[in-house]
Amino acid sequence: MSLPHFLTWLEHSPLGVFMRSLGVWSYGVINLVHILGITLLFGAIVILDLRLLGAWRQIPLALLSRPTTTMAQIGFVLAVCSGIPMITVKSTDYIGNPFLLIKFPAIALALLNVWLVHRSPAWQAHGVRELTQGEQRLLAFGAGLSLLFWLTAITAGRMIGYW
Amino acid sequence: MLRMSLALFLIATPAFAHHGWGGQEEAVTSLTGTVVQGVSMAGPHATMTIKVANDVWDLTLAPPPRAERAGLKEGLIPVGATVMVRGNRNLDHAKHEMKTIYIKHGAAEYHVYPDRE
Repeated sequence: MSLPHFLTWLEHSPLGVFMRSLGVWSYGVINLVHILGITLLFGAIVILDLRLLGAWRQIPLALLSRPTTTMAQIGFVLAVCSGIPMITVKSTDYIGNPFLLIKFPAIALALLNVWLVHRSPAWQAHGVRELTQGEQRLLAFGAGLSLLFWLTAITAGRMIGYW
Repeated sequence: MLRMSLALFLIATPAFAHHGWGGQEEAVTSLTGTVVQGVSMAGPHATMTIKVANDVWDLTLAPPPRAERAGLKEGLIPVGATVMVRGNRNLDHAKHEMKTIYIKHGAAEYHVYPDRE
């Protein structure tokens, strides 16, 4: 199924029909949830990534990693749960929108990066023992990629509406 | 001076919020056509499409709550009805798209963006 076909199918899906029936404030409210999700996700990620890149070294990484990853996960779930219904409202409007083709691959790369970092021996050891220089550099590299991918996704996402 | 321009900016901003009018012509265009798709109140902006001669025009209206305050409702203007609309058309004339300021349907008038008239 091509992307235009998929978007047409999405618009006519029961979720799309339901979303269009919810009244004049519904899009604004769901958009609000999307923005709250993004702020939680990115706000938490920035703190963790900057710490991994060398900021606030006096704060132990193990102390920061738990609250930041938890809030980022909550933010991501909110963004997905609001984003999917939002895109069904007028999916066909996005046919030919180049920013869509930047946003979703950027999210995929960001998630792949999360997966790779979290299964790295360096990340798994960070609460248990001091990390070596090499391990710290590896996590800093992952943090840099994380900022790049999430910023790209957010920027492209915002620009979708201006195309 | 700075405070005054800031105040002007704040006053001017709401109408330009979200997608903005940057891609539209300064000049106001009038169109008369028949409704192809009636007013939809879903999404970031209310929309409708009309047929003028052989072209189908996408009309972008205000955000749904504002369109509702202007008196618009879904189903109020039936498909096939003749309407006259005024607005700022897309700078790209290959696109038949217009940010709509005003709609007249019979005796009914809808001032979608009264501050732009």
